[in-house]
Order: sequence, then C-alpha cells, then structure tokens
Amino acid sequence: MRVELTVNGGLMTVDVEARRTLVDVLRDDLNLTGTHAGCEHGVCGACTVIIEGEVVRACLMFAVQADGARITTVEGLAGDDGTMHPLQEAFCAHSGLQCGFCTPGMLLSALVLLGRERHPSRERIREELSGNLCRCTGYMAIVDAVEAASRGPGDLPVPHQQST
Amino acid sequence: MKPAPFEYVRPDSIAEVLDHLASAEGAAKILAGGQSLIPLLSLRLARPEMLVDVNRIPNLSTIRASNGAVRVGALVRHSQLVSQDQHPLLAAAARWIGHAAIRTRGTVGGSLAHADPAAELPVVAVTLDATVHIAGRSAERSSPASQFFIGSLETNLADDEMITAVDFPWPARWGFAELARRHGDFGVVTVAAAEVAGRWRVAVGGVGPTPLRCPAAEHLLDQGARLSEVAAAAAAAVEPSSDVHGSGEYKRAMTEVLTARALAGQGLA
Amino acid sequence: MGRTVRRKEDARLVTGRGRFVSDLNLAGMKHVAFLRSTYGHARITSISIEEAESAPYVQGVFTGEHPAFAGVALRARSGLETYVETAQPILAQDKVRFAGEAVAAVVADDRYLAEDAAELVVVDYDPLPTTVSAWAAQDAPWPGHMTPVHAEAPDNVLLRRTFQAGDVEAGLVAATVVVEQELFTNRHAANPIECRAGVAWWDGDRLTFWSGTQVPHLLRNCIADLLGLREGSVRVVAPDVGGGFGVKAVVYPEDVALCLIALRLPGIPVKWVEDRVEHLQAATHAREHRYRLRAGFSDGGQLLALDADVTCNVGAYSVYPWTAGIEPLMAGGLLSGPYRLGNYRCSVRGVVSNTTPSGPYRGVARPATVFAMESVLDEAARLLGISSVEIRRRNLIGPDDIPYRMPSGLVDDSGWYGECLERVLEQIAPSEVKAEQERRRTSGENPIGLGIACYNELTGLGRAASAGPRMPFRTGHEACTVRVNPDGCVTVLSGVCSQGQALETTMAQVVSDALGVDYDDVDVRIGDTAESLWGFGAFSSRQGIIGGGAAHEAAIVVRQKVIDLAAELFEANPDDLRVEAGEVRVAGQETPLCRLEEVARVAYLESHRLPESFEPGLEATRFYDPIRGAFAAGAQAAVIEIDRATGEIDILKWACVEDTGTVINPGVVQGQVAGAIAQGIGGSLLEKLEYDDAGNLITGTLMDYLMPSSADVPDISIGHVSHPANNPLGVRGVGEGGTLGPYAVLAGAVGDALGVRIDHLPLTPNDIWSVLK
Repeated sequence: MRVELTVNGGLMTVDVEARRTLVDVLRDDLNLTGTHAGCEHGVCGACTVIIEGEVVRACLMFAVQADGARITTVEGLAGDDGTMHPLQEAFCAHSGLQCGFCTPGMLLSALVLLGRERHPSRERIREELSGNLCRCTGYMAIVDAVEAASRGPGDLPVPHQQST
Repeated sequence: MKPAPFEYVRPDSIAEVLDHLASAEGAAKILAGGQSLIPLLSLRLARPEMLVDVNRIPNLSTIRASNGAVRVGALVRHSQLVSQDQHPLLAAAARWIGHAAIRTRGTVGGSLAHADPAAELPVVAVTLDATVHIAGRSAERSSPASQFFIGSLETNLADDEMITAVDFPWPARWGFAELARRHGDFGVVTVAAAEVAGRWRVAVGGVGPTPLRCPAAEHLLDQGARLSEVAAAAAAAVEPSSDVHGSGEYKRAMTEVLTARALAGQGLA
Repeated sequence: MGRTVRRKEDARLVTGRGRFVSDLNLAGMKHVAFLRSTYGHARITSISIEEAESAPYVQGVFTGEHPAFAGVALRARSGLETYVETAQPILAQDKVRFAGEAVAAVVADDRYLAEDAAELVVVDYDPLPTTVSAWAAQDAPWPGHMTPVHAEAPDNVLLRRTFQAGDVEAGLVAATVVVEQELFTNRHAANPIECRAGVAWWDGDRLTFWSGTQVPHLLRNCIADLLGLREGSVRVVAPDVGGGFGVKAVVYPEDVALCLIALRLPGIPVKWVEDRVEHLQAATHAREHRYRLRAGFSDGGQLLALDADVTCNVGAYSVYPWTAGIEPLMAGGLLSGPYRLGNYRCSVRGVVSNTTPSGPYRGVARPATVFAMESVLDEAARLLGISSVEIRRRNLIGPDDIPYRMPSGLVDDSGWYGECLERVLEQIAPSEVKAEQERRRTSGENPIGLGIACYNELTGLGRAASAGPRMPFRTGHEACTVRVNPDGCVTVLSGVCSQGQALETTMAQVVSDALGVDYDDVDVRIGDTAESLWGFGAFSSRQGIIGGGAAHEAAIVVRQKVIDLAAELFEANPDDLRVEAGEVRVAGQETPLCRLEEVARVAYLESHRLPESFEPGLEATRFYDPIRGAFAAGAQAAVIEIDRATGEIDILKWACVEDTGTVINPGVVQGQVAGAIAQGIGGSLLEKLEYDDAGNLITGTLMDYLMPSSADVPDISIGHVSHPANNPLGVRGVGEGGTLGPYAVLAGAVGDALGVRIDHLPLTPNDIWSVLK
C-alpha cells in the first residue's frame, strides 16, 4: 500500500505492507533509526513519536494508519544547522541519558508534556514520563533535565507540527 | 514479534465498515485505537484475515450531553475524556488509563469492545449502566452495559456489528478508586460508584470475567448505611481468582478498601 | 579528571544518530527468526522443515541436526573438582531443556517473513517431567520420579563448594544468641531497553559480527574457537549498545547460530534482533536463591560464627563461558560482606532446572547475599535489644583492619564502611524516624520503617581475584593504545566497551589528564576488535580501574616520548618539560616551547629531524592488571511508609554513600549509582520471573514483568567518600555497588515498620498485606 508521510517536515512516499508497524517503516524503509523498538507491545515507550501534536507509540500503529500524517521523530528535533533543541541540550547537561536507547522516546514525551504544562512539578514529570522506561539512569537525572528545560528562558517548540 | 499478514481496508462510512465485516464472515477485526489489538497481533495471539480501520469515519469523535447522559462517540480518545468537563467520572477514570501515548490513541469504543475485565472504562460503563449504541447491517440497536459484557474479552457484539457511541448517564455523585502495581498499569482491582437518578450503583473491575455490579452494596448505599458496611458488602459480592499480581483473597480485601476509598468524601457515615 | 564534562556520546544519542546493531541495514541483508521450544522439558521426536524451506522468501532453515550445527556446542569449563561439565547445543538437539530454547532458525527476506516461515516448521515433542524449582526436588528423596536435566548430573547439581574458615561450631556454641533464617530471593533479569541483536557477515575470507555485546574480544575468541576460524579472521564490533547490566556479557547460542548461518550463506549479512518476548524467555535470568543461615552473636552483638547453605537455581544450562558457578561462588565468596568474621562455613551449590539459564546480572549474587547478611544482623539486634545501627557499627571492618582477609580468602582493601554508614545516617536521621514511628504507632497512622544496608563491592578484579571459578581464562587485564596523530590530536584504541557507561568520555578524560591534551582533542575508539588490542569487557565494575589504568599507563609513556623528543628537538632538559593542554612547556616559562603537533609532525613526517635513538611514531600500548582488585565500600538507608490497607510501599527518603575512590566523572558516577539503585528497587518490589509447574514462563511480556518507571523510583541522595585505591588512577568500581543495597534496605524497612521478619522477595503489596493481616 502506498503511504504518504510528512516526517520532520519532509514529504515521503513509501510502499508498505499493511502489517508493517510505523516504527519498522520509519526505521527500515525511511532509514530513520533514531526511533527505537524496545518491546513492540506498547509498554516501554522507546518508539514514541509525535503525530499531529500528540505522543504516539509507533509500535502500536501501522504505517498505513499514519497515511497523510505529520510526524516528528527525534531526528527532527535539532535545527537544520544542527543546533540542538533546548530539551536535547538539557538532557546532555544533566546526565539525562546513559545508553541513549530510551532517550528519543523520552525526549518526545517530555516535549509534548512541556508544551501542555510549561512548569510541571517533579511529581508531574515523573507521572507523565512513566510510560517511558529507562533502565540506566534511575530517572532522577531525566527529571532534572526536564525540570531544567522547563525553567529555561527560551521556547520549547515541537518542531514540524505546525500547519503549513 | 511481527503481525501475521492481513488485508487492510479503511472505509469512510459505517455502512462500508459493516459491509466489510459481513463479507469477512467473522475473520475481520475492527481497528480503532489499536492499543490492545496491535500487541495481540504482534504476539500473533490474534490473526484476523482483515483489519477494518475505522479511524477516518467522520462524526464518531464527539462528546455531547443528551438527556441526563453524555453521549461519547466510539472514536473519542481517552485523552479527550481526560480533558472534557461534561462527565467528571469519565474524566477521572480515563486518567487511570495507561500512559499519555496510550490515551492519545485508545478509543472508548475500542476499550468497551475489547472488554478487558481489568480496564477502567468497562467498569465505569457497568457502574453507570451505560447504553452502547451499535450499528449492524440490518438494524441499529443498543445494549445496556449490563448485558454488553458477557465474559473476559467477550461482548454481545456480533461479528458484523460495530459500536458507534456510548451514552454514559450523568451521575450526581460519584467515586472512583483503582489499585495498580505501577502508575498506568491495568488495575489489580478497580471500583467505580455513581449516584444516578437518586440510586447508587457500584461496580468492581479485575475480580471476575466482566466488571461486577454489587447490588447489596448499592442497596445499603441507598439506605444510607455506613461506609464500612457498604464496602464489606461489595467485597462479599466478589469471588476473584488469583494471578501474578494478587491472590483472590487479596483482591477481595482490596475491593473493600477501594470501595471505601471511592466513596470517601461523599458525605456518607 | 574529577569533572562532569560533556559526554562524547551524547550528541549522537540525543539526535537519533546513535548506531545500534539493530540500526544496521547492509546491502543484501537477510533476517533470522528463531523457533523456540514451547515445552519446559521434552524430547524432540521430529522436526519437519520442508514447508518452510520451500517458501519463496526463505533462504535457509536450520535445526540442531543440520551438519553446520551438529558438531558445535557451548561447554562452559571450570577446573573446580566438583564441577560437572555439560553441553549447551546451539539449536536444541534430541531434547529441549527450557521453554524458549531455540529449536530452529529461519532466514528470510525480512523479519516478518522469517516469522511467517518459522510458523511453518513443525516440531513434535514428547514431554518429560519438568523441574522448575532448584530446592523442591533437592529436599525430597532423590533421585526418583524426576528426569535429570542433563544426564551427566543425575542429581541436577552442577557444582558445589564449601568455603570454610575458623571453627564454626565452636563459634556457635560460644554465642549468646544464634539467629536462624531461611530466605528466598526472586528470579529476575537485567532487561536492558535494547534487547540483544547481531549481524553476521562472512565475505568468504573473514567473519564480521556486529553484536550488542559487553565482551567483544571474548566473543571473538569464543566464536573463532567454536567455528574453527583463525582469530585474526574474526572481527567483532560492538557499536552503541543499549544497556547491558551483565545479560550481554554472555556468549549465547543465538550468537553462534548467526555466525554459523553466515558461514553457510557467504556474502549475505544475516541479522537477528531479539524481541522482548524472546528476551524474557531466552536471555539469562538471575538471582533465584535460597539461603539457610545460622549466625552466632556475642551478648555485645559481635558476629562470632556464620554457617550458611546456599542454593542457586542456575537454569537449564551452565552459562557460557562463565559457568554455573557464577552465582553460587560469588555468594560464598562475599556473603560475610563488610563484617569481621573468623568462623565461617558456607556450602554453595548450583542446581540446574528446566528454566532459562542464570547468568551475570549487575551485582551477581550480592544483592541476595547482602539481603541475607543484613537480615541476620537486624534479627540479632532485635534479639539482643541493641539498635540496628549499633550492631553494624560493632561489626564493620574499619580502616585499622585493612588489609582484611575475609573468611573466604578475599582481601578487602577498603575499610571505609563506617564512614559511609555515618554519612548515610546524617541524611536519614534515625532518631527522628524512631520518634515519628512511635507517634504513628500511637495515632494509628500508616507505619513507617527504616532499613539499612552496608556492603562491600569487589570491583576491578585482577588475575588473583578472578581465580575463583577456575575458568580456562583469567579476566584480570585490559589493553589500551594511545596514539598522538601527526596533527597533534589523540586517538585512543581502548579494549573497554560501553553500554551506556560513557567509556568514550571517561577514557578521554583519563588520557587528556595523563598526556596533557585537551579533552576535545581526544577521540576514543572502543568496541571493535579490529582496532583495540585486547579487553575482557564490561563486567565486575572493572573498566574504570583496569581499562582506565591501561589508558593512563599508555598515556604516561606517550607523554614521556613527547617530552624526550621535544627535549632533543629544542635542546631542553627533559626534566624541566611538561605537557599541558596540547603544548610542551618549560617549567617557569610563560611561552610554550612548542605545540604538541610540532613534535608529532616530526615523529611521523620529518624523520630526518628525529634523533638517532628515536623510533618514528608517537604511540604506546600498555596492558594493566591490578592483580587483586579494589573493594568499594557502600551504605544505603531508606525510610518507607506502608499503606496499612493495601500493603503498598511509599519510599519517603533514600540515601546512599559509596567510597568511589578517585572520581573520573562525577556525573557518570552519580548516574551509575542512581541507575543501580533503581534496578535494585525494581528487583525488591516489582520484578519476578515466574514459571508454572510445566515450565512455562507466565510473566512473558512487560505487561506481567514489571520494571520500575519514573513514578516508582524516588529522588535519591547520593554522596561519596573518596579514598583512593591502590591503582594508577586511585579509582574504585561503581557500576554495581548501588544494586547491592536496596533488597536489604527495603526488606529491613518493611520489617522495621511492621515488626516482622521478611523472608522472601519481592515485597509485593499482596505479600505485605498478608503480613499485616
């Protein structure tokens, strides 16, 4: 089936079998391997992407369902010139990652949270990120990073989700 | 962990959905939010020949008040339930469903049709005795929640029917309490209570194949009995079985605790 | 060193440019799916592969009978007298020994199709009696109705050993109180967010194996040996790896299967990415132990004797290449922990069962031994009427005892346990906890409790300390090459590898300091056996000490070469020269003598300027082995509240202080400790792998196997004391220590809150509620 996806601002057309999950199509067909598959049954959150402004588990959606949708993956967070998104900066500055496997999903979940609640408490951050498992950090440094980003001066835009 | 092959169709109307379902003769599944179905497909525990994607059917995503109830379209996402203010019990229960990325996709119709006995919305539906509106090829019908759920993951939906909307009666007073192993997990035990049209209703999830109404507890509530008696009556009404998350005995005890917690603050003795 | 610099790994990992094995997409690549046993124990009566083989999208179907597989097996070896050597087939032969064991492998165009084809393979089984528990059958009359897992071990015991020191019976007779306990710990597993993955490619000449392994060099050695290839013809590459924690330090049948398949399909890269269901079933488990303890104490609370019997369920196979001794021997060696003890007897055994093999998992056995030891101390304190803090104070090994020879023979070089404990107590304020506890007892509010654990983590084991399992190799050393390139920038080829511990960063910090160059000018290359000379890999909290030691030593040699060459070139006294920030300076002079790149240029490009005695080039390779190791002291304590109605635990406060020696990177160290504690909290409260009696894993998805989320782990106060260890950098390992405390801390805290003894883990709300009743 032919599917049109707007991924990180770029229109992409792929021909995929209906049974292929969005995470597999992003990774294998579009070579956007920043989105990771950790459990493939919707528990770990490693495959989280943003679709039409909302966080979605890419293992719990078939690519054909995303036909025509605007998708932001971790590859779309930094600017075209490579400038990191303030949230990415915060994760680096606060040891918010170790192996980095859960990080893409964690970043996207945190970004949508910060879009809804500009200054969430640590408690709220913990609650809202509880669908993204991390086995390395013990979470404290991730909460530090998200908290720091929420206190930063600049905007925390969700790239590539604006209507054109 | 990859799904077996299936045919995928994405109709634009309910009529087309029903045609597809009929032609597949039981071998089709409706794909709504997919948050429970897709894991089953990936584990190859479900292998329908056809998936009928209903996500693009118009007019199934609205929430509006009608006649002392709130009508919720089948495609309303759990995240919409959380943010609406027309039905506070639904909002409270929906907050307990999974995590943010589950709530953005999971639908009300899908949750009821999947009929997981530990899921939140079936408990709320049974508590309120919601009316499930169902489209079929020959006729539309509606089913009270009390009859809709017939077993674990089993409903009275026929293979060629789909849910279009659900009427959740509006409760004057209500309570909801859940015990989960972790934030966002299915409840080990879930209790919802609601006063609708002057009568109390109580249902418990996670303690049997379907959410279970507790008439004795309801009766005591209507009588103005003490909270402790109500909670004990609810516990007496359930006979849960054991699983990895808790023994039957524990779940029964938690039914009592959660019933009391759900009803705390309702001005009961 | 000592600074939290920007990690070299971060830029690529936060932008989605990490390179994990599952990201590899090579031209012509094919995909493997394994068909796995649905029985815990069964004879294979027939396997039919014809239908799968004839599918148009299938390149190959392999079973244990295939000539490529028939002669190959994993045999973990040990020189211990009581060790029973057994074989683990690559694909099951004749019978299956656990549910999830690979029975067939299918190669197809993509993973979806490979799974389709795997369904076409038909296996007929003849079920055998299944043994799930390691002690039920051991305690019953034996042998009898059970079928041994391996014919070589009719009683299912693969290994037994008794550790002995002093006179236990005399110690117990002299004791005022004797504590007797039987404790059980729960089977759980590492479960990194990235499962295992491998891509094998045979080009007709050389085998390249990309693997998410913690032990690339060891894996190469094993693969070459098992496949009969020259070691130089095998290259193992571990690129970015998404967490390991021990589970990826094992050489698995699937690794060997991929390489065997690649040899059969020349020119075709074959890829397998383990899914989570496979991971839960077939990647190694850990920590299913039983402890039977008798401990004697004097009336002053002094530990006089410890008599222990430890049984570890090692699963269906002796984990390769570490052996079934990995948990029992560690348990026997470290059970007495950081406490003075003269009279010790500990009999350990590793018992096979029809369950997933047990292997190394962060802290290996010690989360359980610390739980056992601290439980004994808490009970003794209660019986003697002294506080749980005081009894620890009276028994901890102190700085004056160092070096302290533990009753198992290991030599403790730390002794800073008391300091760690006192620092933790400052955070927790036990007297305030006590007062609050009393207040709540009176008011009827939810009870709170305090739990404490002191532990000694043996890190960076050198050749002497790693001798215990008598394996045919000793894991004492690492190699590192430090190379100054002609442009003055530095390439470090290190034998270490990383699964998130930031070894690129910390090795760069070590070399930057030792050589005198900017951190940004150091590029560290790890995880590729074609680049680094040798490294045993990531386990036993060893890489900071051993890999760091090698990097430091190599950098020092290179620095001396730079100084000697600069001295010749500029006619200076080498003793007056220093290298700092990429410049060679003369002591006391403001302007640098030259930049490092000038020296490097001469070394490589202007050999005519080289003094006669100088060899061109500017690099050095050094091995380092600490011979023994470094003990890292640690203490943790927590205050918890128990919901009296539901049995749920709320962690109110958690403090940890560890002696980390010299700290290379505080952010990295903090992260290691925090992550280790979180895993311990998961293992204590949530995680349990359970089988039914037929040997089916009933916690086979992440819906049932519960790992802690951000909502389950509290903020933790982490402190350090820094007593440098006796190695080139003065560092002590930090990877595992944090995991050792939580089991004991939480069990102790629940015990304290409810006035009970906790004898098994995890502490589920259901179990606590049962206690409350």
